[in-house]
Amino acid sequence: MSSMKELVEYMAKAVVNDPDSVIVREIEGSSATIFELSVKPDDMGRVIGKQGRVANAMRTLLRVAAVKEGKRVTLEIV
Amino acid sequence: MANQNENLDVSAKSVEEAIEIGLAELGLTRDEVDIQILNEGKRGLFGIGSEEATVRLSVRSQGQPPAPPPEPSTEEPAETAPTASIPETEPAATGTESNGDDAVSLAKKHLENVLQLMGVEATVEVRTAADLVEQDEEPPAVLDITGNDLGILIGRRSETLQALQYMIRLMVSKDTGRWERVVVDVESYRSRRRESLQKMAHRMAERAVANQERVVLESMTPYERRIIHIALRDNPNVYTKSIGRDSNRKVTIIPK
Repeated sequence: MSSMKELVEYMAKAVVNDPDSVIVREIEGSSATIFELSVKPDDMGRVIGKQGRVANAMRTLLRVAAVKEGKRVTLEIV
Repeated sequence: MANQNENLDVSAKSVEEAIEIGLAELGLTRDEVDIQILNEGKRGLFGIGSEEATVRLSVRSQGQPPAPPPEPSTEEPAETAPTASIPETEPAATGTESNGDDAVSLAKKHLENVLQLMGVEATVEVRTAADLVEQDEEPPAVLDITGNDLGILIGRRSETLQALQYMIRLMVSKDTGRWERVVVDVESYRSRRRESLQKMAHRMAERAVANQERVVLESMTPYERRIIHIALRDNPNVYTKSIGRDSNRKVTIIPK
């Protein structure tokens, strides 16, 4: 398990009401790694935020981690 | 000394939002300004046919300098204005917020964990930042990240630093149940940036006056724009206002 996956999990769990429902899947693509984050429907707004602000902040931080590992990443909320 | 000529026109999606943004930029509270609604705006359908609301805030002229704003750090007034329908993540600011010790130590813990998971080797020092606010404002607690080669944590137009601070605030607020305005900084970047913004503000004001021409600055965050507005608040030769929307908002310095 990469620490990038843990990073997404950590951030998501820290902002939702139901941390136990947070699931992150890491999908290794040919050019980039995709992280799929799923949370309880009630918590969707908390990981997206107004105008996607929370999701974008998480993407920004994830990108820093990816640069450190020399990878390309995307974060999708499903 | 509050300047009578200090007017600020603000446009936003709603009158309420425009007022909040304007107050945040001026660093004033509602009873220190006169609010004139220039355009009430229209909602429109899915943004079609909608019109922005515009308000003009004029600083009330008093015999005294304006009182400090109750909330020292106004980082995200525009973005946290309660308008959208997506459930709000952050508890509303109630005025009772504080940077209590637990909030600060929780923030430090979250920040250290996040940095570690990001693969960034750094240490976090807590200090009080008197150099980040006006003299009459209460200094916030600052978590200053120090280490080698941390430019990556600031990012273009400090985007990464903003994201980091926002996430930490969200996490701590989730823990404490109220909106916590802890400040996250990297190698005292914010102090240095503040100082250089103030210097630039004065330099550009001189240019505006010399050329009798308005000077439009680069786009900045609400907090950075506020630094400019305050720096030129007492300059008798210019006034400032912000133009543009969202992340494209720019301070304009206009000769009187």
